[in-house]
Amino acid sequence: MSRIVGLVLGAVAVALALVGCTSMPPAMSLDYKTRAATRTEGGVRVSTAALSADESATVYGVPLAKRSIQPVWIEIENREDRAYYLLSPGLDPNFFPASEASETVASGESPDQQVELGRRFRQLAFRNPVLPGATTSGFVLTNLDEGFKLVQIDLVSSGRARTFSILSIVPGFRADYRVTNVFRREVYPPGEIRNYTDDATFRTALEALPCCVTNQDGLKNGDPLNLVVVGGLDDAFPAFARRGWRPTEQKWSGSIIKMVTSALAGERYPYAPVSDLYMFGRAQDLALQKARDNIHQRNHLRLWLSPMRYHGKQVWVGQISRDIGSRLTIHSPTLTTHKIDPDVDEARSALAQDMAYSQNLTRIGYVKGVGTAPKSAPRGNLTTDPYYTDGFRGVLVFDHQPTSLAAVEFFPWEVARSTEESP
Amino acid sequence: MSPLPPLPKASRSVLRGLLRLLGNALYAASLLLGVAGCATWQAPGTFNDTELRSRAVAASRQGVSVAAAVLSAEDSRHMFGADVNKTGVQSIWIELQNQTPEPLWLLRPGSDPDYFSPLEVAWSIHTPLARDANARIDDHFNRLAFQNPILPGETRAGVLFINPERLTRVLNIDLLQRKGLIPFTLFLPVPDDAAVARSRPISFSYPDADIADYKDLAALRAGLERLPCCASDAHGAAGGDPLNAIFVGELPDIAAALVRRSYRRDAQAVDASQHVFGRGPDVVLRKQAQAGAPSTWMRLWLAPIRFEGRAVFLVQVGRPVGGRFVPRGAKDVVLHEDVDEARNLLIQDMMYSGGLDKLGFATGVGPASPTQPRTTLGGARYHTDGLRATLFLATRPLSLSDVEFLDWAPYLEVPDSPARNESRR
Repeated sequence: MSRIVGLVLGAVAVALALVGCTSMPPAMSLDYKTRAATRTEGGVRVSTAALSADESATVYGVPLAKRSIQPVWIEIENREDRAYYLLSPGLDPNFFPASEASETVASGESPDQQVELGRRFRQLAFRNPVLPGATTSGFVLTNLDEGFKLVQIDLVSSGRARTFSILSIVPGFRADYRVTNVFRREVYPPGEIRNYTDDATFRTALEALPCCVTNQDGLKNGDPLNLVVVGGLDDAFPAFARRGWRPTEQKWSGSIIKMVTSALAGERYPYAPVSDLYMFGRAQDLALQKARDNIHQRNHLRLWLSPMRYHGKQVWVGQISRDIGSRLTIHSPTLTTHKIDPDVDEARSALAQDMAYSQNLTRIGYVKGVGTAPKSAPRGNLTTDPYYTDGFRGVLVFDHQPTSLAAVEFFPWEVARSTEESP
Repeated sequence: MSPLPPLPKASRSVLRGLLRLLGNALYAASLLLGVAGCATWQAPGTFNDTELRSRAVAASRQGVSVAAAVLSAEDSRHMFGADVNKTGVQSIWIELQNQTPEPLWLLRPGSDPDYFSPLEVAWSIHTPLARDANARIDDHFNRLAFQNPILPGETRAGVLFINPERLTRVLNIDLLQRKGLIPFTLFLPVPDDAAVARSRPISFSYPDADIADYKDLAALRAGLERLPCCASDAHGAAGGDPLNAIFVGELPDIAAALVRRSYRRDAQAVDASQHVFGRGPDVVLRKQAQAGAPSTWMRLWLAPIRFEGRAVFLVQVGRPVGGRFVPRGAKDVVLHEDVDEARNLLIQDMMYSGGLDKLGFATGVGPASPTQPRTTLGGARYHTDGLRATLFLATRPLSLSDVEFLDWAPYLEVPDSPARNESRR
């Protein structure tokens, strides 16, 4: 088939040829296909699996994981009346174009090998569009996530978008069982779950949550619980993925060594671990971070699934802060911690604003519950970083349907203002 | 388990880190010695903003007035007691007047997805072991930083800290209200580039008589397909890079979409050698990828064409061999052969900009197969399907499901043929 395609560049003929036949499947290991997760919406079916280090080495013939590159296999079957395009930046705004990745791994190889690698990477790459009636599969190269990956598949066609988000468990890495549990089975017994459909009652419940996270024995208060995320795998987490938020590695020795090295060298290390904080009697269910230029500039957040629901959607409570540098500390077993921006409200509003561009945010609101901490009398977190706050927690409600910026609504609750300007 | 970096490299970076620490320590020591002799940071006196206001660029719409100016190094010293421009930050003074009945929020990621928080900038000028002075620095920066929200009837001014842009700052201001967005795009001259700074991002313009204004899409497509395939060199001779994309829209809308996806103005010497319509590019942008590495570039030329009164730009989109992994500041950028890939990824990026209204493919570049690649200036070779991606950008914030695909030239990403592979061996 590829010979025909190569010979006929006239696109119409190619289109006809491609209708009715699937595109070339990758030749080797099929394990990832057997564990692929599948979703269907309208006439579109998607299947996906994020490859382990071993799988990607087998499929690509080069150890991509060592370059922090992770292929995500995607298959799309289109039974609708129009062609769909897969958007790679939805999976990872910093994804690797196939040609760029092959150049990186091929540098230093012989010219013949460079050509061969280039060809292999191109052949394995996912190719747009997915024509009506066709099934297409291929890989998108993303930044490496260990344990699990939030795979966000955005498909667009004329005047229509289909979006899918799938939690893909990556075998071979140190599995994060807590996260899998949160997404895959109910954390709370049914009797404990309360679904709120009235905004005022929901607000009251959010305000009644504790002010702050704690240490393991629950005796010391840490960072403020200044964030409420309403939504789950289908709506909230796609928004995070689109804006470059990625799961963090759990804290363990190997990554601590990497982080220290990275902190010393000032290099970008998108994958530094976070230390555990506690809420609902357990450490965070999920920690996400958004790396900027280097390790000194990261925003990170921790989330706990609550027993609350809002119109049936999951409600997560959490904490967000902006790292402005690394420093040494005796209050963390790793001896390093992040210097956080003491204006934690800034980090909270930065997230709300970032999410406004995700096309999944539908409502924003602010509720009390953190308690004010004026700049003149800041509170300290568990690693003694001072912070101050207007005392509100930001509430972000996500939805599955793409929402333009102009359609984001506000809950008529508190108006968040910086402490600087509060009366 | 995640593998550790290979030892030699790790050792090198640890060594580099230690050297840096040592350097920092020496620097800190020198600062402390300096402190003993002279004063450290001093809160500046009241800042006189008359000059700033006089050169601010202003605009109004939907009951909101904005004025904005880029702070010069001198402004920065007067306002912050230090030149924060030196820390790789550009400070923008903004004043917003809200005459709507709703509060407004300035969305900072709309101005720069990687903006800096005030205390982050303040932290960069902290002095080691000077706790009180540092607290005063923080207070000062917080006081001057722009603060949300802007309540109904209120006028509010403050500073936004974003990544630097030379010559002309494209300042995107996205104001969120309850169920609505009021976007502004301003072009601000950068004061320290005084001789060449300008408030118009593009100095070139055509006399009206030279401009063909198309009223319908079919005529526009025909006009676009007649435009030159490629740039040339300064003498109009050798073939340059292919002109493989088109932007149609008002300049502010195009600029806003690009800013939201981290494209920044960044012309390098190599760009000037590409000529179209007898001149070098009107604007050159580079995508700020991970770790600040500029990768994909776009060179734009205003075309003597309009569509329903809107500007049409002829664009080269490409990326250098090596992509993001080219060392920063490398001079010898070479066009990567797969120009269609760069073009297709630009389209995908623009889908997330909230500004893409329509998309169509026109011919005009002419196909060049991998077995018979074309050669461009400097000897790089490229292959292409010969299509020109035409992107129509609009003001209204749009979602992924709003993009209309025009029924123009059909487009497919084609896999390699065996012939193509053999030819390269």
